[in-house]
Amino acid sequence: LAFHQLTNPILGNPTDRLSLQIELKDITIIIIMSKEARPSWDSPMQFVLACVSYAVGLGNVWRFPYLCQMHGGGGFLIPYLLMLILEGIPLFYIELAIGQKMRLGSIGAWMAISPYLGGLGIASVVTSMYLCLYYNVINAWSFWYLFHSFQSVLPWAECPVNANRTGYLEECEVASPTQYFFYRETLNISSSIDENGGLHMGQALCLLLAWIIVYLFIVRGVKSTGVVVYFTATFPYVVLIIYLIRGVTLHGAWNGVKYMFTPKLEQLVNPQTWINAATQIFFSLGLGFGSLIAFSSYNHHNNDFEKQAVIISLINSGTSVFASIVTFSIYGFKATFNYESCLERMRLLCLNAFDLSEESISAGNVTEWIHYLNITHPESFAAIASKIEHLLFVQAVEGTGLAFIVYSEAIKNMPLSQLWSVLYFIMLLLLGMGSMLGNVTAIITPLADIKLLSRSLSSESINGLVCLLCLLLGFGFTSRSGNYWFTIFNEYAATLSLLFIVFLEVISVCYVYGLRRFERDIEDMLGHRPNWYWKVMWAAVSPLLLFSLFIFYIINYIQGGTPTYQAWDKDLVRSALESNKNVK
Amino acid sequence: MLAGVLLLIFLPPLVAKDLCKDSQDGFKVRLSIKTALGDDAYEWNESEMFLFRSTLAYAMRKQTKQDTYNITNILVCNDTQRVSFVFVVTSPDDPDQLIPKEQIEQAVRQNKHRINNAFLLSDMTLEFVGIPPTLAAPIIYDTEPWLIVFGVVIGAVAVGIVALLMSTVSKKRRAKEKAAGLSEEDEGIVKENGTALSGLGGKEGVYNQTFSNDNRFTEL
Repeated sequence: LAFHQLTNPILGNPTDRLSLQIELKDITIIIIMSKEARPSWDSPMQFVLACVSYAVGLGNVWRFPYLCQMHGGGGFLIPYLLMLILEGIPLFYIELAIGQKMRLGSIGAWMAISPYLGGLGIASVVTSMYLCLYYNVINAWSFWYLFHSFQSVLPWAECPVNANRTGYLEECEVASPTQYFFYRETLNISSSIDENGGLHMGQALCLLLAWIIVYLFIVRGVKSTGVVVYFTATFPYVVLIIYLIRGVTLHGAWNGVKYMFTPKLEQLVNPQTWINAATQIFFSLGLGFGSLIAFSSYNHHNNDFEKQAVIISLINSGTSVFASIVTFSIYGFKATFNYESCLERMRLLCLNAFDLSEESISAGNVTEWIHYLNITHPESFAAIASKIEHLLFVQAVEGTGLAFIVYSEAIKNMPLSQLWSVLYFIMLLLLGMGSMLGNVTAIITPLADIKLLSRSLSSESINGLVCLLCLLLGFGFTSRSGNYWFTIFNEYAATLSLLFIVFLEVISVCYVYGLRRFERDIEDMLGHRPNWYWKVMWAAVSPLLLFSLFIFYIINYIQGGTPTYQAWDKDLVRSALESNKNVK
Repeated sequence: MLAGVLLLIFLPPLVAKDLCKDSQDGFKVRLSIKTALGDDAYEWNESEMFLFRSTLAYAMRKQTKQDTYNITNILVCNDTQRVSFVFVVTSPDDPDQLIPKEQIEQAVRQNKHRINNAFLLSDMTLEFVGIPPTLAAPIIYDTEPWLIVFGVVIGAVAVGIVALLMSTVSKKRRAKEKAAGLSEEDEGIVKENGTALSGLGGKEGVYNQTFSNDNRFTEL
């Protein structure tokens, strides 16, 4: 009896596996032993839920509804679904296939295809690192809002009073209580990116908590992640359903939903619509970060990822549409509420200026009365003309502005606002934490593959060090100018690199590794070859689409000139546009 | 004679009206009863005006600590349909002399909540134009409520992490002891050595095709 050391048939290097061959009369027993089996998901369901939890994130809630509104409401679904079929699902499939085949994180997987492609994996890891740094800051904000919801009066419901208690603080009067709470109390924002200020201790504490929780979720690798995703993937849907029911029963919600779903098909001829649909599908699925490769590297060899890829992509898009119904009913409620408050203010203005009896003007005929008074008493009307407000129906907002300012404004006007606030921010936290799981897994999986590291340190220590490093670097985002840095990272850290990375991924798989070899691998894993749809998409359509998106981004960036950002200037007491020449 | 008598009768109200209309020491008051009370709104009539004048007299009494203020000291004019009017306060000692604005403002501010309650109104619906309302003082907490919730959550999470790490350490210790115990037994016959095969969860194992004797994969 002799032990033989096995070599990896793909990479050719000796492995830690030993084989022992025992030959008896008419049977041969081959026993393969390894020091450490690669950890794996307890069931395929865990893998699916992990991917859903990762892909369904904050972008589904705050980016898709904005795009929907900007590009023609219900009509936007046409380019969106088309792009899903042309690039979303095929690219998702490729990443899952690579991970499941190579059973390594992004660096090892691409090096297995060609040693020169190691840089592709490193690019993914670096991009994931950037994402981890700034994404958890959003979770810190969610924690802040969540903890502040446990008060009898929500702190963003009213402005704080000024020193001699005769009125409200000026900064809050000119803006609104919700904006004041976000920019002054949550961020304590400075006037420009150059003024650093100190750390906001509350934010720093919340960021610390966020990273400790992330560590708790990933400390044991897939074993701990697999348990957590049962909750992070499913509970947001519970909250969304509750919010849907609450949302559509709010006064004026129907206006918002109608506004969203009336298709304005003329938007379809605008090329920007198609570009935005393509990039939204792309980023929403989380391609190119290496998270999907990392997740699927823990799969069993014969896991049916083809079915799973389609299911997860459809769930992600479905959630976007579902979340936008909820968002638009909230929009509608908020807009109707503001409209009616504005009418009431105008009514009082006219009553007070002309000393008319209270019953003469009702909310319904305010506009007619304004016209009438303008004609009959032009001089007195001129005195109040500056105070007449023009009524905007719905103003599109995206990003952190939507999630924290618009939603909190809508929540404060609902009955039982503390309950709705707690529910909403718990949902935001779960969505954000679920995405963080994927982001951090994309970093720790390649690190665990490096034999040198995993021999000297336990996996818990490596994971802890990664979280600690990200926490320390992330403190920069909790300084007073942190939100400006956040905006830079949010807009520039990942977008261009991802397009390039995924483009190279598709080209590498189709042309460097070879489409035929890839087909054989899939047949080996799934039992059947991919059909013509997949092959056409991988070989031709997706690379072309990605390349044109990449070119478009570069052209847009060059044409955009010096990047600018919006600053909250306390002295000017309104949001100002400031040109920043230091942004590279 | 008759003219003199008539003059004497009509002079005081005329003078009073002039005092009220022309003075700089008056305040405009605005009530929004229908907005505040909706269906329970009451009619604004002479009796309500009487109540108003008496509450103002009360406010002046409280502020100056003189019991000489009376309803006759409160003069009202410029009544409108809005339910708004202007009032002035005359000194109890001399009916032609008006109390200065600042004193009236102080009196009103100190007793605003009593005046509001007399009319079932609030600071928004009973306005004295030029007298800003005194807003409620902000609540000062010893420990902010958010810190308490934060402390609870971070405590629970810290306990969770410590528990997890402890269980990992104890599992590793147990595995090390088992491996040390096994190494004294026979080699050659492969037994469960506590790491690789137990990692498969005691099932039949996983068929890993990567290392099967299939030549398909060696053609690179």
